[in-house]
Order: sequence, then structure tokens, then C-alpha cells
Amino acid sequence: MKIAVCAKQIPDPANEVTYSNGTIVRPEEQVLDDTDRYGIEVALQLKEKFDAEVTIISMGPSGTQKGLQQALQMGADKAVFVDDESLKGANSLMTANVLSELAKSLSADIVIFGTESTDGYSGTVPQQVSRYLDLECISYVKAVEINDNVTLTRQTVEGSEKLNMPEKCVLSVTAGGVEPRYPNFKDIMAAKSKPIEQVSISDLTINTTQNLEFIDIETVENSKSGEKIIDEGEAYQEIVNKLKELKVI
Amino acid sequence: MKTLIIGEIINNNLSSGTLEILGKAKSLDLDVQVVTVGSDENPSIGLDLCKQTYLKRQNNSLNLSKVATKISEMIKNEEISLILGSSTYMCRDLISFLSVDLNSSPVSNVIDFDVASGNVSTVNSINGGESLYKTKINSDQALLLIRPKAFDPIEVNFNEDFETIDLDGSDLEVFDIFIEEKSGPQLEDSKVVISAGRGMVDKENLELIETLASKLNAAIGGTRAIVDAGWMPYSQQVGQTGKTVKPDVYIACGISGATQHQVGMKDSKFVIAINKDEEAPIFQLADLGIVGDTLSVIPKLNDNI
Repeated sequence: MKIAVCAKQIPDPANEVTYSNGTIVRPEEQVLDDTDRYGIEVALQLKEKFDAEVTIISMGPSGTQKGLQQALQMGADKAVFVDDESLKGANSLMTANVLSELAKSLSADIVIFGTESTDGYSGTVPQQVSRYLDLECISYVKAVEINDNVTLTRQTVEGSEKLNMPEKCVLSVTAGGVEPRYPNFKDIMAAKSKPIEQVSISDLTINTTQNLEFIDIETVENSKSGEKIIDEGEAYQEIVNKLKELKVI
Repeated sequence: MKTLIIGEIINNNLSSGTLEILGKAKSLDLDVQVVTVGSDENPSIGLDLCKQTYLKRQNNSLNLSKVATKISEMIKNEEISLILGSSTYMCRDLISFLSVDLNSSPVSNVIDFDVASGNVSTVNSINGGESLYKTKINSDQALLLIRPKAFDPIEVNFNEDFETIDLDGSDLEVFDIFIEEKSGPQLEDSKVVISAGRGMVDKENLELIETLASKLNAAIGGTRAIVDAGWMPYSQQVGQTGKTVKPDVYIACGISGATQHQVGMKDSKFVIAINKDEEAPIFQLADLGIVGDTLSVIPKLNDNI
């Protein structure tokens, strides 16, 4: 079984996202998107049961490769990435086009994603990749039971439903579905010798265009008072008064 | 502009998200039709103001890729230029599939859009609503995923007048379908919402919120962090990846106010925030901020209301 897991390097989420000409400003050192840790965890659990090979696929400025290292530290076998100036500000479809080409080049049976990235959150790439690969997409997986079969629980609007995982498919895994493992010192050291390979965009078939044109970013006026009261035991009274004033009570 | 809205069914009727998009499309005077996807036997979704097609799928298999193929066909046959759907699980899947078929990247998280001289432009909210991001779409077809509550729903009369197309299931059999029980006021339409965050410390402390909610006839929500931790079902998550609420009063209890959460509640009319951390971003969105321990403030509220 060959598994490709998508991992995105993003600016440290502790800092506010900044934009330049409509595109997120990316520092040299980016970190692994926490959202992707869930997908990586599912891939590693499958690897333990079915002896699979787990390859990280990624697109974007590689920089110090810290985020890719973090993905390898969890236990993935290797990483391949595409970093090309022409992909700067790539829309979701172009991103999916590139990632599906990477998955294809690896002959991946299972391709796993988080549900949406923390910085761009378009939330469409896993499904788009499945369409490019002509595979079924099992989206919003929130629980995985691995026996001889793999049973997936999907989040639905009303609740949930279960399916057996087919031999080939694309999954998107929601946060909280599995508990991502923390690498120990040995894992961190081992990751340093795992292969990270850059793939040239000229080796991939890209037929998407940048159909979305950035126009403008506008700041919204904050109309809130931001009034703050330090609670010294009686601040609840302020809330009670306000709720009366608003006729809630 | 020829426009197709992908509709969804809730409680045998069109979802509020569908009606909101329909309201906006009508206000722009678009040439609109609706294709509704569902598995209900006899939904009452016919519309007196535009054409409605019902794609009836089997609920015992996952066949959204087949649904998308059918919609792609309709888009090509009817020369549709604008495709609109609500940011729900189903529409996210469908619009993503369609974007590949039509080779046109979609725009997600749209809170407003306009059509002028044949061009579609969109507005997204970024950085937790602090800024608006504007985009022009330069492809023949534009695909938009629209956030719930972005527009006012249209008032419509439903009828039985629509075409039904039965779709085959797929090999991906679905089983153990579970429907979450919903009790008490619902998040989307409650006038008062009380939400809990990590500052509640422990799942058991949510009882405090439940008591307050019953006193105020409020719906209960939570942040992504506590939903991920399993304290509440996903259906109660407020935020980017959860629900969008616009109540008259929103009470944020022990919520720091991460961007992810702000997006789902920033349009609430009056926001009360209780948080220990004076620097928590939630205070910037609050009309009344209490810097204090939620776990000591809420019991006092419960005793005095």
C-alpha cells in the first residue's frame, strides 16, 4: 500500500497572517499545519497495520523545511515537494492540480488530507484532488477503526455515517478524529536522514490557470466599545444589568 | 447572468443557506435556477419564482461524485456562468468536484458578491473579520461557496412543482447512519447564544453554562478546541469550520477569541465576554468585557437571574 499525505508549511499561527498584494507573506521558517497532523496520524496507523509506505507531499515555498521535518518526525518515510515562483498565490484548483500530479507520480493508493489549511482555509483541495485522480473522496473523516477492514466514520450535517475504506481513495480527516503522536528525541534524530526530494514543476502536467484576480484588501471598522471591567467579585452585576437593559431577562 | 444554485434540504424544506443565496441572486436580478440535492422522499421544495430540479440520491451510499457529474452536464447544457452553494459539507464536496470539471478555481468563504458587465466579483472576510479580501473572477464560469448568514433569506412559497431525477448509488456503501439528537433552542436561530471555550477548564463545568442557558432560553455553542476535545458535538461548534451565528446577545465564556472562532460570531449584535486574560482578542469584539474567572462569574449569574 502506498500512501501520500499532504502536509502544508504555514507561517507560525501564533502570528497574525499578513498579506502582500493579496498573497500570504511566508517567512523562511514555516511550521507544519496542525490540521495536517491528523491526516499524518491516520496514515501512520494504516502503515502499522498494512506495512504501507508513507510519503509526505507538499507545495509552497520550502524555506528551512521545518514543517516538512516535523511531518517526517511523526514517522512518515519521505517527503516530496514542489516549490516554484510560478505557484506564488496559487488558487485552490492549481494547488490541487500540483498535489494530484505528485500523488500520481508516487502511484499512491490512498491520499490523505486535513480538511482545510489553517492559513488559507478554502477547504476544497482534498475533493479537487480526488476528482483529478478519478478516485472516490471520503471527506470529513472523524474516526478510523483499523482491523482487517478499515472502517471510517464521516461527519455529516445531521450526525455521522460509516463506510469501509476502498483500496484506492482520497480522505480528508477532521481535527479531533485521531490523536496525533508526538515525536520523541529518537524520532526527531531519525527524521534528519529521511529523504526530502524537490520535484520540478516542469515534470508535472499543470493545466489550471490563475482565474482569481486579487483586487483589494480593506480594513473593517470595529464598532465594538471594547469596554473592560476587572472582576473583583461583583462584575456579574454588570452582566445582569445589561441583560435587563437588553430585555433578555 | 445564467445562475445555478445548489440547494440543500433540511426538514423537508430548502435549507436557510439556500434561501439566503436565492435572496441575494434575486436582488441582483440574475437568471436563476435551483438544483437541489437530497435523499428525502417527497420534499416540498418547488419554487414559484424559478425552475427547480431535484437530484434524488440514495442515502445508503456515498455518491456525491456522481451527483457532481450530473450537475456538470446541466451546467454545460444550460450554459450556466455562475454556480452558487452554501459552505456546507455537501456543497463543499460538490463545488470542489465541479471546479475540476469546469477548470475554474472556486472562491470559498464568500460573504458578498456582485455581478457587473458579465464579471463576478467576491468579498471574503479574512483575519477573523478584521479585513475584507476582494477578488475578481476571470473564468467563463464562477463557482462560489457562500458562508451561512451572509444574506437575508428570501420569502418563498413552496409547491410540488419540480422535476425529480433519480440518481444511482455507488459502490461506497454507507451504514450506521447516526442522527444527533437536537434539544433546546438551536444555535442558528436563537436570540441568545452562550459559548464555551477552554477557559471552562473541564467538561463537567459545562453544567454551569447549561444552567445559565436554560435561564436565558439560550442556545449553547463552543469553540473548535472544546469540540475537538470531545466536550460537545460538532453541531455546536461556532466558527470558521463550524456554524455562523448572529444572535442579539452572544456570551463568550472562557473564549480567547481565535480568528477561527471570531468568524462565526463577530456579527452578533451585543457581545459579552468573560475571560481571565485581559489581552484576549475576544475583548476587541466585546461590547461588555469582564476580566475575570468564568468559573466564578457564571455561578453568580446563575444565582442572581
